[in-house]
Amino acid sequence: MAADVHKKKGWEVPNGSLVPTDGQPMERSESPTPGLVQGTEPGAGQEGGMFVHTRSYEDLTSPEDGDVASRSPEEGRGDQADQTSMAHISKDFSELSTQLTGMALDLEEEMRLSQENEMDLSPQTARRDSARSEKEDEDVTMEAWRMHQKHVFVLSEAGKPVYSRYGSEEALSSTMGVMMALVSFLEAEKNAIRSIHADGYKVVFVRRSPLVLVAMARTRQSEQEIAHELLYIYYQILSLVTWTQLNHIFQQKQNYDLRRLLAGSERITDNLLDLMARDPSFLMGAARSLPMAAGLRDTVSTCLQQAKAKSLVFSILLSRNQLVSLVRRKDQFLHPIDLHLLFNLISSSSSFREGEAWTPICLPKFNSSGFFHAHISYLEQDLCLLLVSTDREDFFTISDCKHRFQERLRKRGVSHALLEALRTPFYSVSQVGIPDLRHFIYKSKSSGLFTSPEIEAPYVSEEEKQRLLELYQYLHSRAHNSSRPLKNIYFTGPSENLLAWVTSAFELYMCYSPLGTKAAAVSAVNKLMKWIRREEDRLFILTPQTY
Amino acid sequence: MSRKKTLKSKGSSSSPPSSALPPAKESGQAGGAAARAKGGSSRPSPELPLNGAVLPSRPSLSSSGEFYDVAFKVMLVGDSGVGKTCLLVRFKDGAFLAGSFISTVGIDFRNKVLNVDAVKVKLQIWDTAGQERFRSVTHAYYRDAHALLLLYDVTNRASFDNIQAWLTEIHEYAQQDVVLMLLGNKVDSTQDRVVKREDGEKLAKEYGVPFMETSAKSGLNVDLAFTAIAKELKHRSMKLPNEPKFKLHDYVKKEVRGSGCCRS
Repeated sequence: MAADVHKKKGWEVPNGSLVPTDGQPMERSESPTPGLVQGTEPGAGQEGGMFVHTRSYEDLTSPEDGDVASRSPEEGRGDQADQTSMAHISKDFSELSTQLTGMALDLEEEMRLSQENEMDLSPQTARRDSARSEKEDEDVTMEAWRMHQKHVFVLSEAGKPVYSRYGSEEALSSTMGVMMALVSFLEAEKNAIRSIHADGYKVVFVRRSPLVLVAMARTRQSEQEIAHELLYIYYQILSLVTWTQLNHIFQQKQNYDLRRLLAGSERITDNLLDLMARDPSFLMGAARSLPMAAGLRDTVSTCLQQAKAKSLVFSILLSRNQLVSLVRRKDQFLHPIDLHLLFNLISSSSSFREGEAWTPICLPKFNSSGFFHAHISYLEQDLCLLLVSTDREDFFTISDCKHRFQERLRKRGVSHALLEALRTPFYSVSQVGIPDLRHFIYKSKSSGLFTSPEIEAPYVSEEEKQRLLELYQYLHSRAHNSSRPLKNIYFTGPSENLLAWVTSAFELYMCYSPLGTKAAAVSAVNKLMKWIRREEDRLFILTPQTY
Repeated sequence: MSRKKTLKSKGSSSSPPSSALPPAKESGQAGGAAARAKGGSSRPSPELPLNGAVLPSRPSLSSSGEFYDVAFKVMLVGDSGVGKTCLLVRFKDGAFLAGSFISTVGIDFRNKVLNVDAVKVKLQIWDTAGQERFRSVTHAYYRDAHALLLLYDVTNRASFDNIQAWLTEIHEYAQQDVVLMLLGNKVDSTQDRVVKREDGEKLAKEYGVPFMETSAKSGLNVDLAFTAIAKELKHRSMKLPNEPKFKLHDYVKKEVRGSGCCRS
């Protein structure tokens, strides 16, 4: 434990920077329960993270202090000494199972009901990819429109429609008027509406002046999680117009039609909503790193690091929403939300696949008052290079960085190996060697990265995959419940057993065969953690680089 | 191996301005600046009389690996949804982007090498987003453009009415001698047409710019629009002593094809 204390010291960085002071070697624990201290868990980067430290999920959902978001990892390191031993944990789990039976039954019932619901709903979910115009044409008076799993509306404080996920905004102006009336009515009483819970659905309100965001969800997500998604939509809008401009516009003209300024971005917002429903990155508040040999990744990162320019802040190499490498300016950190918005932008349009795009983008968590300029290009089929610059005029310089990067990759002879790695973006859970383990999500908090194997049988159909993610969502919402957070959850269901373990250093969610016992699952945690430690240099980005 | 890395980068980070770094940075900047100077009009060179085209002494290799003799920047502008990207894709790949509407994000940059009178002309084409929120970024690149294709949609009156505003913007931001051409796109949609060809012609005449109607869907006049521009730019930049003066207006008048069947 003395060693732990010592390590903790190394992490209490006085200047608010995440980079450990030199001469403070980061010892990597070899113990079977490694990394209960942040920065030593499997997957923790050796030189600090690439991201702004979000202490936890609560950090993301807590109300903004307004404009410029926190760039420094403030307090919150003190309470991290979670020195629970493995034995202690097992004990916790054995106690927990009894406590949670009630909850488990609830969940089971909920799951069963919702499965029935989903049957009816599948036609709508299937047409997710349909063109925006079709969505626009959808008749808002029809039952089918009402039955969508999740509606999202954005309106201005004057009650003007800004965005609707389904149906045209014009047709919904009276509905949005009612929403605004509800918000104002409670505000008149010096109160705030947060949610309405009705039979089978929730209506969640998020107020971010000058916008009001409303979701109407039939999913089993908690109110907190739906509000979290609405916040993402808010940030998405900020990424297009900046917080400063948004406020300026509405100060000038309260009844401004924001759709004019957001024209053409509906697809990006639609894509974000679809992505949040199937990609655990958003739930985890972390980025998934593409597994590849550490040596290869280091070489690629070095090439990327060398192709720098004065105005470059971040160089990001990604493949299908998985991070290959991220190089940043020494004193600048990216926030996971900003990274997710960038990933979403790239995945929402096929037009980046050819040529080179140059677009203004605000990274609201980094600085919500100004635009960066992003250079987006595909190097190969699924390999996208994103270069974030501070200078609007610098297209040619940044474009040159891209060419230099490609040139270096060729010279170092790693292009081929890189493509090879892209071909296997997922690993099989069977590699872990735990027979009853079906799937897991492991997030290293200090690196802001998570790893997860391919979703395999029995989660083959889209519905089953969706259900698995919903189970994780459920575990996550229990673990991060703001009034009653849980550290350990063990849940026995009809089709699988689930286990969640949240410490100050990592989060682990495990899906286990229903035939396995709790004791087996708990010992599997041990084995899994050892495996992740062994494979960490392949699964994570341990040596992130700076310019 | 990752542990070794730590030591190495620790070493460099402890002495922030490590000796290896600044020169690399310098060269990066210099390279970028040189590239820009080449593209800009400021570089004084006898080879570049007009418009500052890139004119290498021997064929250069473009990023796509194709050789070219001379390179120009062409920018597509006009309201959102008039078919700028479709026009470009038709010209570049000979295909029509059917189906859903994908709006361009920011500016999109693509290359195509054309053969103009035995000279390989590389057109670096900027496809811009028509939306208001991207105006500032397009403004920044107007002055780099050697030619502008200004598009409106013949089935959308507002896009035609906005042409005047676009022209004002062009006069404000683009170079004085920029080659400009007005295109009325989507003439394949005869049913929905609301802007007559005569209207387009009249407006073009008023501003003294060449005009043609195009269809990215059928391919009508698409290649012609780009070729005409390439010819004009090539003639401007490498005027040979005995060559007759190239007249863009006459060339366009001669080569243009109408959308209907009864046009001569």
